[in-house]
Amino acid sequence: LPAGLSQWFPALEVLDVSGTGLAELGAELLALPRLHTLLAKNNRLGGPGSLPKGLEQASLGRSLRVLNLSGNRFPEVPPALLGLRGLQSLSLGGNRLHGIPPDIQELRSLEFLYLGGNFITSIPPELANLPSLSYLVLCDNKIQSIPPQLAQLHSLRSLSLHNNLLTYLPREILNLVHLEELSLRGNPLVVRFVRDLTYNPPSLQELAGRTIKTRNVAYAPSDLPENLVRYLSLASNCPNPKCGGVYFDSCVRQIKFVDFCGKYRLPLMHYLCSPECSSPCSSASQSSTSQSESDSEDEASVAARRMQKVLLG
Amino acid sequence: MEQPVQTEMWKAQSLEELVRILHRIFAEDKVSVEEVQTLMESYESNPEEWLQYAKFDQYRYTRNLVDNGNGKFNLMILCWGEGHGSSIHDHTDSHCFMKILQGNLKETLFEWPEKKGNGEMIKKSERVLRENQCAYINDSIGLHRVENISHTETAVSLHLYSPPFDSCNTFDQRTGHKHKVKMTFYSQYGERTPC
Repeated sequence: LPAGLSQWFPALEVLDVSGTGLAELGAELLALPRLHTLLAKNNRLGGPGSLPKGLEQASLGRSLRVLNLSGNRFPEVPPALLGLRGLQSLSLGGNRLHGIPPDIQELRSLEFLYLGGNFITSIPPELANLPSLSYLVLCDNKIQSIPPQLAQLHSLRSLSLHNNLLTYLPREILNLVHLEELSLRGNPLVVRFVRDLTYNPPSLQELAGRTIKTRNVAYAPSDLPENLVRYLSLASNCPNPKCGGVYFDSCVRQIKFVDFCGKYRLPLMHYLCSPECSSPCSSASQSSTSQSESDSEDEASVAARRMQKVLLG
Repeated sequence: MEQPVQTEMWKAQSLEELVRILHRIFAEDKVSVEEVQTLMESYESNPEEWLQYAKFDQYRYTRNLVDNGNGKFNLMILCWGEGHGSSIHDHTDSHCFMKILQGNLKETLFEWPEKKGNGEMIKKSERVLRENQCAYINDSIGLHRVENISHTETAVSLHLYSPPFDSCNTFDQRTGHKHKVKMTFYSQYGERTPC
């Protein structure tokens, strides 16, 4: 960037330096108080020093709304970026990211996050702490699972997950009531009902914990060692609404085939407290595929109906 | 003895001229697919001429009506953001021409699923269409999915459908199940038309 930039164009609001072969964006940027949109795609950015130091403290930290760094060579989300508190739109599509830093949650104003076309293998649950996120693109990556916390992204309208390594989705995804677009094509989603029968029997501690919780045995923090008080607070409810049980560490991973908005059969992760605990209607037979497919419809159909039209890949 | 039919090959110098020639072609009883495809391909995309119709939506691709062809055809411009794609769909017994005005679009062709489809749909072929290329499809050829696979560039395409249609079937790639959907316009004649 030319050294006199801020002197010649002090009122600059939009700067597009895409396709110019830049290897770094220098401190000249920091002196542009009105800059709200910076487009720097298809360059050679990615090495250390690609972004100027002091980004957070400069007025840019508050004024920058849109940042497009797609088609560069970033191996990670540059930490300097995370200080851009006013940022509403961030694109790092087509870079070399292998992960997403949990500190992404610092971008409190973020509404649009494009991370498609990288090498991302997992999603940190902290991503769900972005209160205004409405468009999340994670397509063309190497993601194997979605953290259930992502269902806390209440403002999410569009979620792009196509061409990843997903075999199932967390059941909580049905809680995203504002979701209008969801792309899932090109994932090895499990089509047939699969029951993972590897179940480690619960420990004595777990069994005792379950009893205390389900029988509502009264206890005060002074009654128990601190670690056990903490342990008891971590009880999770069995997702089967008909079962009042809780579990701690011991559960059965069961992939259930749920009819999703009547359009598409999605495998969802159900954590059940024991292999015997399942939907009431499946008490008859466990072997028939169609039986298990239809009884899972009951459970999820209520939540599914709540969801609006979802276009699936 | 029949006179051989003279097939003129048109060249459209502007979008306006393209529309004018299309009206003339479609006023006839018989329309040649080859003629329309050649005409569409002959128009060299000039963004100044179509920018007013190219309205993008950040969440998904948009359909923007340009001309309603006196009921004989619909001419529209589709705007694809980075990573935007369509579902697998059919063309409700109509002819479909698709010309790239900007960027690139990947077209994946699929076989029609079996009547009682319950298996992964079969991919026939795929290709990336470049600027100014024009593809053609109809139901007898198969089904397709169109997507902008670029993570850095948007894409704009010009579509002609004849006869016009406002609903089609979308297909689930994993099972072949189909679902009828209504299609809407994001804008018409350059004006935003929310539904």
